[in-house]
Amino acid sequence: MQRNQGCQQLDHQVARRQFLAGAAGGALAFSLSGSPVVAEQVHGQHKRILQVYLQGGVSQLESWDPKPGTEYGGPFRAIPTSVPGMHISELLPYTAQRMHHLSIVRSINLKTNDHKQGRLFMEKGRRAGEYPYVGSIASKYLAPAKAELPGYIHISTRGLSDSTSAFLGARHAQLKFIGVNPPKNLSLPKGLAQTAATRRMELRQQFNKQFETGRPKAMTETFDASFQQAEKLMARKTFFEKAPADKDLERYGKHDFGRNCLLARTLLENNATCVKVTHHGYDSHAENFNFHLEQLGEFDKTFSMLLDDLHERGMLESTLVMVYSEFGRTPKINVRYGRDHWGSAWSMALGGCGIQSGAIIGKTNDKGTAVEDREVDAGHLFHTYLQALGIDSTEDHEIAGRSVPIGDPAAQSIKELLA
Amino acid sequence: MSLRSNLKLLAFSAILIAVFAAPVSAETPLHERIDSALSSDDPQFEKQAAAPADDATFLRRITLDLTGSIPAAEKVRAFVADSSTDKRVQEIDRLLASPEYARRMQYVFDTMLMERHPDKHVPAKDWRNYLRHSFRDNRHWDDLVQEMLTVDGTDEKTRPAAKFLLDRELKAEQVTRDLGRLFLGRDLQCAQCHDHPNVNDYLQRHYHGLNAFLSRSYLFRDPKTKKTSIGEKAEGQVAFTSVFTKEEVKTAPRVLDLPEIHDPEIPEEPYKIKPAKNVRSIPVYSRRLQLADAITSTENQAFQNNIVNRLWAQMMGRGLVEPLDMWHSDNPPTHPEILKLLTAGLQEQDYDLRYLIRELALTQTYQRSSHRKEGPKSTDEPDYRVGLLKALSPEQLAWSMMQATGVRERTLAGLISKKMKDDPKNGSKITAEPLWQEEAVHDALWRNVDSFTVTFGSVGAQSSRFDASANQALFLLNGPLIQSWLVPGGNNLTARLKKLESDTEVAKELYLAVFSRFPEESETNQVVEFLKASQLETHQGIPELVWAALASDEFRFNH
Repeated sequence: MQRNQGCQQLDHQVARRQFLAGAAGGALAFSLSGSPVVAEQVHGQHKRILQVYLQGGVSQLESWDPKPGTEYGGPFRAIPTSVPGMHISELLPYTAQRMHHLSIVRSINLKTNDHKQGRLFMEKGRRAGEYPYVGSIASKYLAPAKAELPGYIHISTRGLSDSTSAFLGARHAQLKFIGVNPPKNLSLPKGLAQTAATRRMELRQQFNKQFETGRPKAMTETFDASFQQAEKLMARKTFFEKAPADKDLERYGKHDFGRNCLLARTLLENNATCVKVTHHGYDSHAENFNFHLEQLGEFDKTFSMLLDDLHERGMLESTLVMVYSEFGRTPKINVRYGRDHWGSAWSMALGGCGIQSGAIIGKTNDKGTAVEDREVDAGHLFHTYLQALGIDSTEDHEIAGRSVPIGDPAAQSIKELLA
Repeated sequence: MSLRSNLKLLAFSAILIAVFAAPVSAETPLHERIDSALSSDDPQFEKQAAAPADDATFLRRITLDLTGSIPAAEKVRAFVADSSTDKRVQEIDRLLASPEYARRMQYVFDTMLMERHPDKHVPAKDWRNYLRHSFRDNRHWDDLVQEMLTVDGTDEKTRPAAKFLLDRELKAEQVTRDLGRLFLGRDLQCAQCHDHPNVNDYLQRHYHGLNAFLSRSYLFRDPKTKKTSIGEKAEGQVAFTSVFTKEEVKTAPRVLDLPEIHDPEIPEEPYKIKPAKNVRSIPVYSRRLQLADAITSTENQAFQNNIVNRLWAQMMGRGLVEPLDMWHSDNPPTHPEILKLLTAGLQEQDYDLRYLIRELALTQTYQRSSHRKEGPKSTDEPDYRVGLLKALSPEQLAWSMMQATGVRERTLAGLISKKMKDDPKNGSKITAEPLWQEEAVHDALWRNVDSFTVTFGSVGAQSSRFDASANQALFLLNGPLIQSWLVPGGNNLTARLKKLESDTEVAKELYLAVFSRFPEESETNQVVEFLKASQLETHQGIPELVWAALASDEFRFNH
């Protein structure tokens, strides 16, 4: 069967012309054009994403889908939440009081137990291939033309480096911060005075002016834009230098994750488009329970404070919040009291912008070994995130003569989760 | 000059003489036919086409394209001053015969075929050496592809060539997709699970037809040597269902719409080496070994079109089909007649890539200025009336900066004097070898190149679009590496400029070293003004001046 997915001849020619006009690119990526859907979005409120990535695979049984008193349930109880009838693990007492802001998807089946494959699937909504991450898509379609910050910032404490932007280009790739340390090369070189730095930039502009005469601008403008972005970042160096207020540290916690989430708040307040914070260390093949007690203790309070702050500032309505992993953990407890990789029946939480709050989507069976109802994979979740943000994920990326479906055409959004 | 390069030059002159001495009735050279094909249908063409680039611009462009770096300042002086009429042809041939050409092609084909993915089974160093030696020996494209797709990785001598298959771990989705993209110019990825949703020409059977060549092969890890190689089973069909229709279809190996290649009858004993625990099995009939023949077969137009299109894009800044791997009827080549000429030319010359690159370099099209003439219609369409800007690759940028700032020269001088001291008997002979020089400098400076690649390169599919990120600008603005090249020392550029008597001379030297040309009067004045203003403070002006030039648009692009 031939499937013609909203890409008739005419669309294709348009895409092609756009490319030609861009003379080998640049122009397209530079403006926010691309597709009409997108133009519409920019007029509305600036929408954002907060991603909290629990790296290694958080246990669904110790978090969003507890099964106390069952064969594989583990030692922890389930506690009621601010949503009547919704119970989560007692390891998340602060989050439990805020579940009216969030929803849970309990029926994820990725059919993979591999860290990398799971991570890429969750980020790209596709099992394989060169596709952009959610954050890069947000940078491309949601970041205002005059954004003060790069569109996709990832705060992490380790060096995992992914190629995140695929065909959307380097400007939409993640800018990675190692913890609260500023990005590399943010300070002027030693011995170079600010006046001299300004002067050399002006001279650079003078050189450029002569070169640009009689030449197409797309590429040179892209190059110049990277310097402007760099200078904006340099001007915001204080974000990284200013010690957080004691009161804030008290609330968020004096650990890395607390500090990273405070930086995330600052960035979101300053109109960053997608901020991802990675909380490392959930790969609990041994001592799963002690591990989660500690890890989730750190996550629970910090995340709750951040959620409160976004809510109080009126930002939650325009910020999609995702708490996710690359997979969950096996119901079966191994001989080292650990749980292993489990991509076939696990959960994530999401809320904020465009998401129905207080909902539970899908369920696993009594022992938690398989999805019993409303099975979804990362392809469905991917459509859901984007549609929550008002991006039509069934449209195509129109990039340089190539139409690529934004979301996997074989998957759809979880409609009942969309507000 | 070495004996070896002399021999090469001789060989080239022989070719040249052969071409020029040929009777007039013989066919016109390919480059002339390309030029006339571009302009023939359009009486406006000549009027609107940009003038030929001047000598200095031509030299910078061709040196970047064929050797991966800008030329040295003294080379620019000499070339501009040279009054011989065939100096461009001579220069092209000299560069094509240089060790730097093989290095440049190593970079180009490494990036094209491995797309900067991290190493898995074959070390990048071995693979790059293999590529470089292949281009040094001018091995032809069909020959190279044959080798890359047939080796199984067990023979140490050819193991580097197995990187294409081994480092993709023989994973169907990756190998099949990349065979389609990199050798056939077609990205069949979306056709894995269903006929392509947007491109009517890309069918699921195309994807699975390619996959069928490899479906019986598997990675084998030798328990003793711990080395991974490729084994193959004697059985296994390829069947597929569409995620939309659920209908099951079977296919034998095939390349796109060429006929299926059916297995011969299975003999009583189908194995040369039977499968067993810790044994790499080898069937009597190998499907995998059919792949290279099928792909490089003269019947397979897609294979020829793809490499021609990629080389055209490399030299001209844009493919006749763009994106390079989206060849289909709704995205036809912009100039089908040129494609035909190039493909026929390549076939006549048995897939000799150096021949094709030489012909492309000789065209007026390649040698046109990138400055648009006043007046004529804008170049929204890829009509090649005006030269296109090409962003320097990370490697080109690194080597060009090291050339401009004098780092390369200074390093080479140090290496030569060390070698002379270590080997006083043969030192001067050895260090005079261009090949020795290229490899010594490369080994000494590759770490610098690497830090550019990390910052400016990206893993995955290439495109001729240009992109730039804040990280890259920060690297240029404040990164310690470039700063260190600006500190005056030895005979480097800033040291040389500081020693000059007048600011006018500084301007001239700067322009030659960084922009590979002489400055115009207004440009000289600009530099003089800047130095005057900056010298009011401490004497910091010169490093800033060099920085601004290195970070400028003119330096960032091949123009």
